[in-house]
Amino acid sequence: MSVGFIGAGQLAFALARGFTAAGVLAAHKITASSPDTDLPTVSGLRKIGVNFTVSNKETVKNSDVLFLAVKPPIIPFILEEVGPDIEPRHTVVSCAAGVTISSIEKKLSTFCPTPKVIRCMTNTPVIVREGATVYATGTHADVEDGKLLEQLMASVGFCTEVEEDLIDAVTGLSGSGPAYAFTALDALADGGVKMGLPRRLAVRLGAQALLGAAKMLLESEQHPGQLKDNVCSPGGATIHALHFLESGGFRSLLINAVEASCIRTRELQHVADQEEISPAAIKKTLLDKVKLESPSLSVASASKVSLFTNKSKKN
Amino acid sequence: LRGAWPRVAMEASELWVGFVGAGRMAGGLVRGLLKAGKVPASNILASAPSDKNLDAWQELGCRTTHCNLEVVHRSTLVFLATKPHILPGVLEEIRPAVGPYHIVVSLVAGVTIQTLQRLLPPRTKVLRIMPNLPCVVQAGAMVFSRGSNVGDEEAALLKSLLSSCGLCEEVPESYIDIHTGLSGSGVAYVYLFAEALAEGAVKMGMPGALASRIAAQTLLGAAKMLLETGEHPAKLRGDVCTPGGTTIYALHQLEKGALRATVMDAVEAATNRACDMAKD
Repeated sequence: MSVGFIGAGQLAFALARGFTAAGVLAAHKITASSPDTDLPTVSGLRKIGVNFTVSNKETVKNSDVLFLAVKPPIIPFILEEVGPDIEPRHTVVSCAAGVTISSIEKKLSTFCPTPKVIRCMTNTPVIVREGATVYATGTHADVEDGKLLEQLMASVGFCTEVEEDLIDAVTGLSGSGPAYAFTALDALADGGVKMGLPRRLAVRLGAQALLGAAKMLLESEQHPGQLKDNVCSPGGATIHALHFLESGGFRSLLINAVEASCIRTRELQHVADQEEISPAAIKKTLLDKVKLESPSLSVASASKVSLFTNKSKKN
Repeated sequence: LRGAWPRVAMEASELWVGFVGAGRMAGGLVRGLLKAGKVPASNILASAPSDKNLDAWQELGCRTTHCNLEVVHRSTLVFLATKPHILPGVLEEIRPAVGPYHIVVSLVAGVTIQTLQRLLPPRTKVLRIMPNLPCVVQAGAMVFSRGSNVGDEEAALLKSLLSSCGLCEEVPESYIDIHTGLSGSGVAYVYLFAEALAEGAVKMGMPGALASRIAAQTLLGAAKMLLETGEHPAKLRGDVCTPGGTTIYALHQLEKGALRATVMDAVEAATNRACDMAKD
């Protein structure tokens, strides 16, 4: 089985790294493409031994499982470009936040009658094989297609199937989750430094504390509230500290964060569904490339542009 | 050296129980005792300066007096239930009548065992108890601590007597102020919460009386489940929260309001106040 990544950024790199480290896939069976060869992840991919190309079409040709690893506003571009090359053997896996299965199927069905589409939401710790991934299968994807993806993603962390309508919530929780953790770790380290620890040690200890706590929770039958209680000796240091966290509304901040990320994901989906792209959403290099290939496409700086008003197919 | 005190007198039904002071807290305890049928009313004698409180005791079938000394003379188990500033004077008054067979149990907030033992004859059996108001309906929470002359038998007797009023546990004396903050005053926090729940319902269109009854029953039911299942409250909370449902939305509001921290602040404030008052 060969795997392809459209897009060679953080996500592609993280997954490729994870798959090869897990040994489920040899590097030479992986192809990644991007028009932007300056990305630091491109050299990273090359170093692992992944086949890198600037041609998305080449990636499609050389893949059975095709990951769309580009930012959500780019997805319509990509589907338009590689649509003609999608064959029944392909499983198209979109990792783009907020992009629905139906929008992808709709786009691809102009080229291929029964496109196999799976939508997945993963997160960056796949890079160290501790990712959290969920997926939902599209109309024409079989149980086996889902299981195949599950096997791949399970090699880099936890993976389970969900109903598509839960994916935005997953984005809010575990998609964005590592960022919340990095923020917390940075602050914990600051606390350690304030109280006299050298920075490196503080970071190391903070990270290990969170890692250990997470592992305990995953391996325990107990409720996190109970595990918390087990650490809080009466009148001790920990309960004093927790009081501060509660006073600051720690819990509600985290709830707010998950909610905000989920809502924002839905907003982005709404934008994407309108099939209009704000030029600001597209990196300049990509935009220039688009302009080169479709000179008739007008881009107004202040207003949104509809990608499909001037349909100009490349080759 | 113990007085020649017959063992049989340790049986609750044979016990002569006295109350010095007949206010609300004492009234709560005696009602609990009587409801549980542990001690006959005729075996209970209470003293108070005026008749104001004593009428209620007489209605229960207890005997009453205005003389504190009489209570001590005629009782084995003596509850001290005066206001804190009254107690020193009362102790000076009754001290001559206190003997080695007496079991003195103080309900007086903020007065330590050390103080009690200092103001009573040496070798007096002293215990200190902190009840809470729902003792009146046999759903109280009480903690007690023993003084240096109290043995396991006396502690067990007190615990068995008072378990009729609710939860009764022996604790180190340092927990008593915490119990005040948690449960003594805690009852008021619950009343506040119940009132607020009902007000929320009234705002949403429910009549007040109905809302109040439902609020109270909700608290009762939740507490009962906690006590009977022994599960962690966080787990029980999670069990009620269906994904994306009403409960989690409401809980988010509570978290935004930092309810947890506020409650912790309250318990802390009451506990600290109890400590401060004890020092006075």
